[in-house]
Amino acid sequence: MTNQSPFRVRSTFMRKTGTVALSLVLGTTLLAGCSGGKAEEAANSNSAANVSKEGFPIVKEPITLSMMGPDVGLQNWKDMPAFKEMEKLTNVSFTFENPPLDSFETKKNLVFASGEYPDIFYASSLTQADEVNYGNQGILVPLEGLIDNYAPNLKKIMDEDPSIRKSITTPDGHIYSLPVINQQSIWYRSPMWYNGDFLEALKVKDLPTTTEGLYDLLVRFRDEDPNGNGKKDEIPLSSVKLDDIRSWLLGAWGIYGEDIYNDANGKVHFARTEDGYREFLTYMNRLWSENLLDHEAFSQTPDQKKAKGANNQLGLFQDWHAYFTHGGKPTTKDPMFVPVKSDAVDKPAVAIHPGLSTGSFAITESNPSPEASMRWVDYMYSYEGAMLFDKGPEGLMYETVNEKDHTKKWKELPSQYNSREDYRGTLTPNYGTPAPTLLSPDLQKGLKEDFDTWVDKQNDEKILAYDPQPPFPILYLTQEEQAEISSLRADMDTYIEQMEAKFVTGQEPLTSWDTYLATIKQMGGDRVVEIYQGAYDRWKSS
Amino acid sequence: MAAVIKESKTDRLFLICNYLYVAIAFVLVLYPVVYILSASISTPSYVNSGEMWLLPKGITFEGYMRVFENSKIWVGYGNTILYTVVGTLINLLVTLPAAYALSRKDFVGRGFFMGMFLVTMFFSGGLIPTYLIVKQLGLVNSMWALILPGAASVWNIIVARTFFQSTIPIELQEAAHMDGCTNLRLFLKIVVPLSTPIIAVMALFYGVGHWNSYFNALVYLNDQSKYPLQMVLRQILVLQEMSTSAQGAATSGEAAMAMNAKADMAALLKYAVIIVATLPIIAVYPFVQRYFVQGVMIGSVKG
Repeated sequence: MTNQSPFRVRSTFMRKTGTVALSLVLGTTLLAGCSGGKAEEAANSNSAANVSKEGFPIVKEPITLSMMGPDVGLQNWKDMPAFKEMEKLTNVSFTFENPPLDSFETKKNLVFASGEYPDIFYASSLTQADEVNYGNQGILVPLEGLIDNYAPNLKKIMDEDPSIRKSITTPDGHIYSLPVINQQSIWYRSPMWYNGDFLEALKVKDLPTTTEGLYDLLVRFRDEDPNGNGKKDEIPLSSVKLDDIRSWLLGAWGIYGEDIYNDANGKVHFARTEDGYREFLTYMNRLWSENLLDHEAFSQTPDQKKAKGANNQLGLFQDWHAYFTHGGKPTTKDPMFVPVKSDAVDKPAVAIHPGLSTGSFAITESNPSPEASMRWVDYMYSYEGAMLFDKGPEGLMYETVNEKDHTKKWKELPSQYNSREDYRGTLTPNYGTPAPTLLSPDLQKGLKEDFDTWVDKQNDEKILAYDPQPPFPILYLTQEEQAEISSLRADMDTYIEQMEAKFVTGQEPLTSWDTYLATIKQMGGDRVVEIYQGAYDRWKSS
Repeated sequence: MAAVIKESKTDRLFLICNYLYVAIAFVLVLYPVVYILSASISTPSYVNSGEMWLLPKGITFEGYMRVFENSKIWVGYGNTILYTVVGTLINLLVTLPAAYALSRKDFVGRGFFMGMFLVTMFFSGGLIPTYLIVKQLGLVNSMWALILPGAASVWNIIVARTFFQSTIPIELQEAAHMDGCTNLRLFLKIVVPLSTPIIAVMALFYGVGHWNSYFNALVYLNDQSKYPLQMVLRQILVLQEMSTSAQGAATSGEAAMAMNAKADMAALLKYAVIIVATLPIIAVYPFVQRYFVQGVMIGSVKG
């Protein structure tokens, strides 16, 4: 337990001085290396010599790097077959530091503050502020040069879709983290679902497509005892603080996002001051006063909402899958919410996930071999690598049926595991964590159950058919912008949240809307839009 | 004949009010305990929906079974016991001598040392500097990081010092000195045996502190196998909250499913874990309590 020797203290000290020297070197390389990654390469030529530019193994002499990533508590990372397989393939092994997922944030900040960084952050959810901040300090290494030279797979994806490069580049022109690229993701937020039992009991054939139609259906949920227990205990529409359902309903008044969003002309809007949002509040207030919206909506916890769902009391609710709330096994009985529209618009606005999240992989200045690290992670952006880290090595969970078109089939689950997911969590770190990878539709080929196919069909009919858009591109603010936004929004967001609850519950009549707008203006609402507009224009023209 | 003094009306009223007040306080304190006990053997959906509010509903022992199966919880249990026992011993070893020394009026520089001690009660370096020091001492990821930095609590030293000052008469010390007793011997043979109440109280204070602490473990430990029980408990409880709120942003359907499964599991486990984790403290408390009242009162009067 006490394997710490005095040497450790000294080596920390040495590293400290080393840090200063290194950041000096790095600073100068940055100055010199604006045109490309050449200078960095020169600085790292020693480590680069050991790295082969293509094929495996990645390094001739085995190397060991340190990695920090969140632990979900199913398996130690060092015992995961995915890492073992990868080590055989690449000659790169790791020492791991894995704080539990729930305290990862705290640990990450400590690590940055303490000056003893891991060589690699993996599945690390670095915030954009982290990247800009620690990137500027030289703690995180700029990756664009490394990507060009050592990441053929990722480079290919980025060349095919230039918006990815735009979205992961920080305002100083450098890339400090690699993204999760998710070509499977559609939902900007988990969808809303109707209670299939209710629909069946009321013999509803066609789901409503207008706000009035929805209103009528909710009234029927309330009055006609669809759960058939003789009690009027149905809650037509439930929510937790409206955060779950807001963005789906706002679309009825042509608003794409619940916060900042851009329209087709490149103009940035703040949803909470739009006229459409006012209409939304009016509508929700109507639902509230007629007992159609859960009267515990502003006080209950997600667990309490779920308990009502399991009790078959909810008519319309949001969750990842309906059965998470409604209880039981995956079922195709509960249909997805169909976007509704008001009279104000021709078609509902529907948001789609941008398919990208940043901050999942970063290399720090203490990394002795950034080149090998980049080649290592680049494998995750190929089909084979993504597969290895999505489902573990071939032959454990699945086996390939057709090499050419990537069709696979499941293998039988070892008896000691309750579900495939439990098993999967012991094979790979990419389990409920944002890991750097390319989640292409091919990964699931042949592995989809009937339920998954049904969900895909729901997506096609009820989301993709409505020409959905990501509300706002993924982009970075500069450090100054970030600071200004944080200070402006701290109070503003609280005010907006409180006022929303008051408007909906009728504590504040909608006649005070103008006062509300004036207050937000006074709190700097215009400035917020201005900053995001600037960032958006910068993103667009980059 | 011994006359019983008859209670006056106001006295009786006072008594009734007193009982009423105590009864209310008792219910207030008892309710959460009963609730958690009942919740630990009820079906989670009843607990979440609020249908289970006092007595268990849909009785199931699955939560306890899962707890007993879960090796992490037992490893955590072992660690917590180790940290609590070793930690408390070290705490006492540091606190009692320091307190005794500070209680002696003939201790040169007493005021100065007391002052220095007091400063640390009001000013601390903050989380990150403390972390840096612990790290540079090479304590990170070892049990000593949880034990050594907090070995002496100034507050407890003051309480103990006041105890020594007010219960060990200076005459006793003088008499011992007359007989040729050294300071060390005086402390070990006379002062310590006379101070059982304060030792028990200190042990309880420190022990409960160690038992309940998780933050230091969160900050300093990297190795799962060294986590104390509270850390394991926290993981289970926080994961449930996270999983329900994070689903909107889950990266894939599989992740969402995994989190949902975990949330169900946590709902089942959490009350059972709370019971298992608190039971030892509840069991020990009554035995120490009588010292507790004595010891802490003495500290408070002349503090």
